[in-house]
Amino acid sequence: MSLSRTRTGALLATPTILYMLVFFVVPSLILFAYSFWSSASYRIVPDFQFENYLGSLASPVFWKVTFNAIRIGLFTAAMTLILSIPVGYYLVYVSRSQTMLYLILITWFSSYLVRIYAWRTLLGTNGVLNTLLLQLGVIDHPVSAFLFSPFAVTITLVHIYLPFCILLVVSSLSEIKRDLVDAARDLGTSSIGAFFKVIAPNAANGLVGAFMLTFILVAGDYVTPQMLGGSSGQTTGLLIADQFRKTGNWPLGAAQAFLMFGVSIILYVVITALGRATGLIVKRRAKTEREI
Amino acid sequence: MTNPRTIIEIRDGKKVFGSFTALTDINLSIRQGEILTLLGPSGCGKTTLMRLIAGFETLTSGAISIDGSDCAGTPPERRPVNMVFQRYALFPHLDVFENVAFGLKVKGMPKAEVKERVSRMLQIVQLDNFANRYIDEISGGQSQRVALARALVNGPKVLLLDEPLAALDLKIRQHMLAEMKRIHTETGATFVYVTHDQDEAMILSDRVVLMEKGRIVQIDRPEDMYARPKSLFAAKFLGETNLFDATVSAVNGIGTTAVTPAGIRFIGAETADRQPSERITVSIRPESLSFQDGEAATQSAEGTVEDVVFIGSRSFYTVRLDDQSPVRIQVQRNGRLALPSIGDRTRVYWDSANVVMLPHS
Repeated sequence: MSLSRTRTGALLATPTILYMLVFFVVPSLILFAYSFWSSASYRIVPDFQFENYLGSLASPVFWKVTFNAIRIGLFTAAMTLILSIPVGYYLVYVSRSQTMLYLILITWFSSYLVRIYAWRTLLGTNGVLNTLLLQLGVIDHPVSAFLFSPFAVTITLVHIYLPFCILLVVSSLSEIKRDLVDAARDLGTSSIGAFFKVIAPNAANGLVGAFMLTFILVAGDYVTPQMLGGSSGQTTGLLIADQFRKTGNWPLGAAQAFLMFGVSIILYVVITALGRATGLIVKRRAKTEREI
Repeated sequence: MTNPRTIIEIRDGKKVFGSFTALTDINLSIRQGEILTLLGPSGCGKTTLMRLIAGFETLTSGAISIDGSDCAGTPPERRPVNMVFQRYALFPHLDVFENVAFGLKVKGMPKAEVKERVSRMLQIVQLDNFANRYIDEISGGQSQRVALARALVNGPKVLLLDEPLAALDLKIRQHMLAEMKRIHTETGATFVYVTHDQDEAMILSDRVVLMEKGRIVQIDRPEDMYARPKSLFAAKFLGETNLFDATVSAVNGIGTTAVTPAGIRFIGAETADRQPSERITVSIRPESLSFQDGEAATQSAEGTVEDVVFIGSRSFYTVRLDDQSPVRIQVQRNGRLALPSIGDRTRVYWDSANVVMLPHS
């Protein structure tokens, strides 16, 4: 018995589709329904109103934390990507070592929370950074602002998401053969020129993808901002989590989650459009499209 | 071409990767305007040698000079050579025109001149109608020509070609060989061509550099290398041949006589450096053996016809000689001559001019 390509494809995708349906699509729809309900004294009332959305959109606190989340997300994603590119270049074109990649990924074997506490130890008033600066005489009393600040949140998030971003960068660079770099150099570019003239344009889609994925994970992260951000470092993720955990206002939390979802999509569209407009992302017809 | 100028000179080149010696004792002068082939099995160091010339690798010891100036420490982008990569390495984000224009633009050439030179080069490689196509919209043979054009448009002193036809199928390959020769004549550039394919090497080259295990074993014109291989490796690598272990029995003014353990006698025309009782290997090409005792065919052996393969104008015979060694004989079809059939007893003749005596391996 032979199956057509479409049927084989459907068959292979079925387990994933079922999983996503049961554990993602259905819960998301339920959450979406919740977002139109209302909450009164810790009780959820089935309803149909737009107050959760309209209220959030009109709330300065919501926008403040959302801008904060976006700012931390963009900045962290940019830093992570900038740090990942040289490492990815080294791993793909210079060392070609799998061991090195595994060594980088090994930090992911330690718990997320442990790493956050490690940064608290490093950045706290009695922490390594303050002690070092005191010893060096750069400061004369411990700086408490290192901890519980956007700086602490960003530095920790960069650390946490760097291996993830490196993995994405490595996979997008791996598709670009070393030959192309050699060819560019043979034709007169320096190795840095070869990166900008040949690797960057060909890897642009993958690099923008790495940036966006890192951004989405970082912007939605609510544990690090909670533990290291202090009151000024609140983000939408934390706000949403609080609606579910503390105030018990599920409908409002759901609405804000969908608003954040919308904001992420808008940002993605804007960034991709910017990439296209500046010529960084080259849009080419997919090969398969024409072969059919 | 009397006394052609040397364009690339390699002296005592040696390249070591970790504990692996990729190249050793490399001495080579490449002449201006020639097509020089680096030929050898995979792993013989031919690609490494080419990458050394291009500047992607540096010699462990020894020196390379291009057009009279030593190029130690000169990165690839500042060497007056260009390369055609095995899988072309064309830039997928650029169209054909932009690919070819890449090198000229990097050098900062004015736009109008870039356009003129690229257009002329695209005409030479017959791709003027494909200038706006992307790389994934053209065929393998066309990609090959874009790669040639992209390198040649820079006017390199030497064009390096790394197995440029390996990725093409047989029919296009033969067409591209002819194209390559035409482009060589039209541009007058020096070509250094890496291949493991002896046919490509013989069709294309002015001179062949045969390599084995990181060493150059012979440098010769293709016809000379085929007719007068200097080693067993060369005899076996280029074309087909019959080999016999033998011992030198006599050396005199007119030639060398060698005898196999079973008593088959070979008389070779060469006398150089052979000592009586030296063990050697005798090589005779299938087309140098015949069933007729011609004017010059003074030597012979008896055997039984074991197999006949008919290939149009030629036939390949396998004859098992009386010492049990099988020999392959290539015969041109000729209606007037009676040829033996399978199972027939027959006599095989050869001429001393075609007996090649090689050092025993």
